[in-house]
Amino acid sequence: MRNIWTMFKKEVYRVLSDARLVVMVFIVPGLSIFVMYSLMGNIMQGQADAVEEHEIIMIAENLPQDLKTMLEARDLEGNQSQLNITIDGREAMDDDTLEQKILDGDIDIALLFDEDFAEKIANPDLHAPPSLHILYNHGRQPSSFAYNRVNMVLMEYRERALIERLEDPNHYIVFEHLPVQIADERVVSGQAMAMLMPMLVIIFLFAGAMSIGPDAIAGEKERNTIATLLITPTKRSEIAIGKVASLAVLSLASALSSFIGILAGLQNLMGEDASAGLSIYGLSEYVLILLLLMSTVLFIVGLIAVVSAFAKTIKEASMLIMPFYFVTIIVGVASSFGAEPATAWFVHLIPLYGATNALSAVFTFNVSLLNIGIVCAASVVYTIVLVFILNRMFQSERIMFQK
Amino acid sequence: MIGLRVEHLRKTFNLSKKQRKIERTDVRRKIAVDDVSFEAKPGEIFGLLGPNGAGKTTALRCIATLIKPDSGDVFVGEHSAVKDSAMVRKNIAFLTNEMKLEDHFTPNYLFTYFARLHGVDEADIEPRKAVLFERFGVDKFREVKVADLSTGMKQKVSIAVSLVHDPDTIIFDEPTNGLDVLTARTVTDYLQAMAQAGKTVIMSTHILHVAQKLCDRIGIIIGGKIKALDTIENIRAISPNEDMEALFFKLVEESEAPDYA
Ligand SMILES: Nc1ncnc2c1ncn2[C@@H]1O[C@H](COP(=O)(O)OP(=O)(O)OP(=O)(O)O)[C@@H](O)[C@H]1O
Ligand SMILES: [Mg+2]
Repeated sequence: MRNIWTMFKKEVYRVLSDARLVVMVFIVPGLSIFVMYSLMGNIMQGQADAVEEHEIIMIAENLPQDLKTMLEARDLEGNQSQLNITIDGREAMDDDTLEQKILDGDIDIALLFDEDFAEKIANPDLHAPPSLHILYNHGRQPSSFAYNRVNMVLMEYRERALIERLEDPNHYIVFEHLPVQIADERVVSGQAMAMLMPMLVIIFLFAGAMSIGPDAIAGEKERNTIATLLITPTKRSEIAIGKVASLAVLSLASALSSFIGILAGLQNLMGEDASAGLSIYGLSEYVLILLLLMSTVLFIVGLIAVVSAFAKTIKEASMLIMPFYFVTIIVGVASSFGAEPATAWFVHLIPLYGATNALSAVFTFNVSLLNIGIVCAASVVYTIVLVFILNRMFQSERIMFQK
Repeated sequence: MIGLRVEHLRKTFNLSKKQRKIERTDVRRKIAVDDVSFEAKPGEIFGLLGPNGAGKTTALRCIATLIKPDSGDVFVGEHSAVKDSAMVRKNIAFLTNEMKLEDHFTPNYLFTYFARLHGVDEADIEPRKAVLFERFGVDKFREVKVADLSTGMKQKVSIAVSLVHDPDTIIFDEPTNGLDVLTARTVTDYLQAMAQAGKTVIMSTHILHVAQKLCDRIGIIIGGKIKALDTIENIRAISPNEDMEALFFKLVEESEAPDYA
């Protein structure tokens, strides 16, 4: 026990006293996520703003006057209320030129009304309605945005025309449409967290462990320092536990850095309401989340330790770990974008998947203590098996010393 | 004080394809140590003398429980290296050139760390550190990271660290390799002092005069086999007309002869 503690302190000190590692393990993950999210948020916001502010260039032929007024409507303060729009006539432009200009983006949208459009709206002939051709470029954002916006105005225009035709405008109302929201707001916001968090959690836990595990074990083999350790009377099982325990704590801390990055970045990515995300959870949820995190990190670290002990060099270890990393990412993505979290107890026996599943459940307030218990118990069993394997590997001269 | 007994030690290695090519052989198993037996008594320095590749390091690694012999056993006191390796490790200091200290730490930190792993009482660590650091001149760079030390300085730290637990048996593989004469002298003086204090000291060397000067008894190991085992004087007495060096050459040549036949 004393030996485990001695080794644990040394391994943790090894990382904490190395500026390069501290930056790599605790700062870079959080910071890079934060920067990435903020940049993404900025770009997305910028795009949205650009589209909102874009002035729609419209060519219109035979545009009815009342519709023109609607398109150009301003609010009481004189601001354009709906659309920032310039409307030009078609002049002498032929069809090809018009299409080319829309393709080139010189014009966003063209509305070509029949010559007698306004007339026919006023005096409808039910068997020969007037027609309107709308030309726009689906491949350009400003153009499709213009189409959507203009369409809304057109719908309103049509509604007005329809109401005018009916003797009693009340006939227009077929039924009153009154949706009532009765969802639990917490579960609604929880769903967003459940979609994002479990995936990020296990990917970051894995990435954190991956950045220190190979060095701590394969590195000792590569640099020939392992024999100095193996020549002490320390039990091999103590060495295995010391390594796994220290890696677990360091990985957890590294994952924590990623979370801080996520939380800080999320606000920049999704705006104000994101910050509400984590505050909907209470102490009991956090305790359960932490419990699941700890059992997951043990399994991941045990796995990485065994693979690292098997490799001859740090590089080889990193390469051997890659396939496991990809599987982890797939598990993460599957549990994020899959259906509702599975509730069957045996699903929770599956390493990693069980944990992400249980995490999703906690995030959506569907806690099953039985399932969480199964995840934790299974992780502990798997970790014991992995530590046992690691212990055997430390005893094998072939694995420890073969070059 | 306890002695050390090696009984019919045998160790073979599987040769990889690459190794077979280097050794120019089709044999898949290399016999590195072949039925080696000897005894080292408390109060004496026992030397394993042999040319490169003779099996010295391999034999010592078996003794130190880093690797397991195919057959045979080693007893440190009553503890068997095969059955009770942890107890053997508790009672020996072991050092080879291939055993390194972690670059990132200082000698000071590593000494304390390994003292704890060896089960040294907290109260004894600092006094012991003071003695050994003084003795091997580690004091001046006790707070310098191992990465920033010269090869010889690292060797001194390794020696000091290997002795943290003040064991009764000291097993050093080529302990003066890479050291300047002054430092080499410090090390050999220390080994002699330890033997005088009643400890069992085993060392290996490929240099005849080192063995001659230092060892009370030697085992000449060539091709994994012990070719002669006695005090220097008695070995010399085998062929009184030849000097020791000629004898050593003859033994080496004899065992290499079949290879050229
Ligand atoms: N892990 C290994 N795998 C295969 N062969 C090995 C291994 N270790 C040692 N050998 C072989 O065993 C033989 C003895 O090696 P050893 O290192 O014990 O020699 P040595 O006497 O210490 O030599 P030196 O004076 O060069 O240090 C050599 O032929 C070496 O190639
Ligand atoms: Mg050697």
